[in-house]
Amino acid sequence: MDDPFDNLKHSMKKDFEGFSFSEERKNAVKETIRSKQSHPELHSWKEETLISILDSLQDASKHGYDISTQLFRKNERSFESNEGQLYTLLHLLENKKILTSTWSDDRKYYSLTTKGKKYVVACKHRGPQQSALLKNLIEEASL
Amino acid sequence: MAEQGEITINVTNIENTEQIIGQLMDDYSDDVLHLVFTYVRNQTTAEDLTQEIFIKCYEKLDQFNHQSSIKTWVYRIAINHCKDYLRSWHYRKIIVSERISDYIPSKSKMIDEEFISKNIANSLTNAVMNLPVKYREVVFLHYYEELSLATISRITAVNINTIKTRLKRARELLKNQMKKEV
Repeated sequence: MDDPFDNLKHSMKKDFEGFSFSEERKNAVKETIRSKQSHPELHSWKEETLISILDSLQDASKHGYDISTQLFRKNERSFESNEGQLYTLLHLLENKKILTSTWSDDRKYYSLTTKGKKYVVACKHRGPQQSALLKNLIEEASL
Repeated sequence: MAEQGEITINVTNIENTEQIIGQLMDDYSDDVLHLVFTYVRNQTTAEDLTQEIFIKCYEKLDQFNHQSSIKTWVYRIAINHCKDYLRSWHYRKIIVSERISDYIPSKSKMIDEEFISKNIANSLTNAVMNLPVKYREVVFLHYYEELSLATISRITAVNINTIKTRLKRARELLKNQMKKEV
């Protein structure tokens, strides 16, 4: 026997018999994909939602629940039955230095930074430059 | 690479990527699982990594450029993922130190509970699984997957002459080992 590996395929095939990627495992992959797919939807609703959030913080700082009820009153239902997403978004906005937060009475109060206020002004004007700015922000925040 | 019924990849439509991944899993998940197993030598880890690999495929699908077959592409992702795992802190610090306890003499030949050698055919598998990973890799791809050296070179990003040398060296290692056993 010249090549000691001649029988390898046959040998391994036998060993791998019954060792397969189960349906449960496949479903777990599909599940993850589905949850990742719902993410790009962020793109579609964010422009209005983002403006609403920033707008609601213009006069005073608010905590998350307050923001969410206010959005609800404005008939902004992007976060309906998915309230957690709001906090993710708030967190991202904080990271982008659009918002800043302080803790008081065990609640986190969000308010606009100077940069955030500029965004609100930009949103109101809706010029081509501003809307590019906003789009950029949305894209960054969706990552 | 034998490729009957290659699926067509059309990523213009986001909804159908899920279907594509489903199809890829139906076609190749067992192959990928076996490939991963030869790297990590543990059944559960192989299953976990295979799961991650198909998620990675989903994320990278838009980067598939049709220059290779989809199977080659999936394999490349799989191999890179395995190597990342073997390089990871978790593997080097946790798993390897657990492994040391396996080196008590009576257990030294045993890699995975499922892989206890029962007959001659199995002992060949065992011998291959005991080779250092750089030899195990080329032996598996060449003899089990029956890939050409050029394809192996492409999916492992290793020079073709290096692959030839490793195959030769692997044959020597195996022959020596078998001589010892006889």
